[in-house]
Amino acid sequence: MLSCQEVTERASDLIDGNLSTWDALQMRLHLAMCKGCDAFIGQLRMTRDVTRSVGEAECRHDPDDVRIDAILSQLHEAKRTDS
Amino acid sequence: MSRQARDEHDLVERLVAGERAAFEEVYRRHNAAMLRMCAGFVRNHATAEELVQETWIAVLRNIGGFEGRSSLAGWIYTILLNKARSRLRRDGRSVSFDESGEDNGLQAAFDGRGRWKDMPELWDEITPERVVAGRKVLEHVNAAIEALPSAQRAVLILRGQQGLDTAEVCAILEISEGNVRVLLHRARLAVRAALDRLQ
Ligand SMILES: [Zn+2]
Repeated sequence: MLSCQEVTERASDLIDGNLSTWDALQMRLHLAMCKGCDAFIGQLRMTRDVTRSVGEAECRHDPDDVRIDAILSQLHEAKRTDS
Repeated sequence: MSRQARDEHDLVERLVAGERAAFEEVYRRHNAAMLRMCAGFVRNHATAEELVQETWIAVLRNIGGFEGRSSLAGWIYTILLNKARSRLRRDGRSVSFDESGEDNGLQAAFDGRGRWKDMPELWDEITPERVVAGRKVLEHVNAAIEALPSAQRAVLILRGQQGLDTAEVCAILEISEGNVRVLLHRARLAVRAALDRLQ
């Protein structure tokens, strides 16, 4: 039987589907009997999903026109000196 | 060709054609993540801004030679990492994956037999939708990511936010697959602890 500490160490591998069938089964057996670890796995799943949404939220900002212009004019300059 | 591959192929063609809207799309998708990851390596926001800008110029100059052997994102982050590496080398430093202070805050959570001292409890306030709707939690998560050691931060951004696959993350950061998993797990534990403090 895995200890709670061992369960937390393998928690990401479980939620990401990286464990073998046997190892995943060992984890599920523990989770069925341990409320604390079951809650922990729920928290880690939520952490994974929240992290992803935070990253996606950042992509919704409109790009800064001034920066885009600066990049494009430097690109232009670099291409001009090339030729 | 999958839908995703076809979309990316179209996007690359539009970039090659010099279409501004295509560049805006790629910029929007990656710029914030690039800045945050790069600042982790160079430890200086102004330098990170400069390197990210140089990366974009290199991307647009060389997009005609992009052959799709990696994803477009993988290619962009590889260029960024190379720029960060050469800048650090120039300054007599290197991309350090220093993982000092590795304590993930969980060691103290267990007794001598590996059982919880205080059991975790389910969060009822936090969902991805609520987090994004309220600036406070979002900023809290970003602050937690910015406090991570550089390698954990890079893996969390590339794998956990930008959705690059593990093999690409290994190639970009020049680390093993086992390493990527461990770093991702540690990074998540740190973000989890930050979220737990909000309860
Ligand atoms: Zn347990």
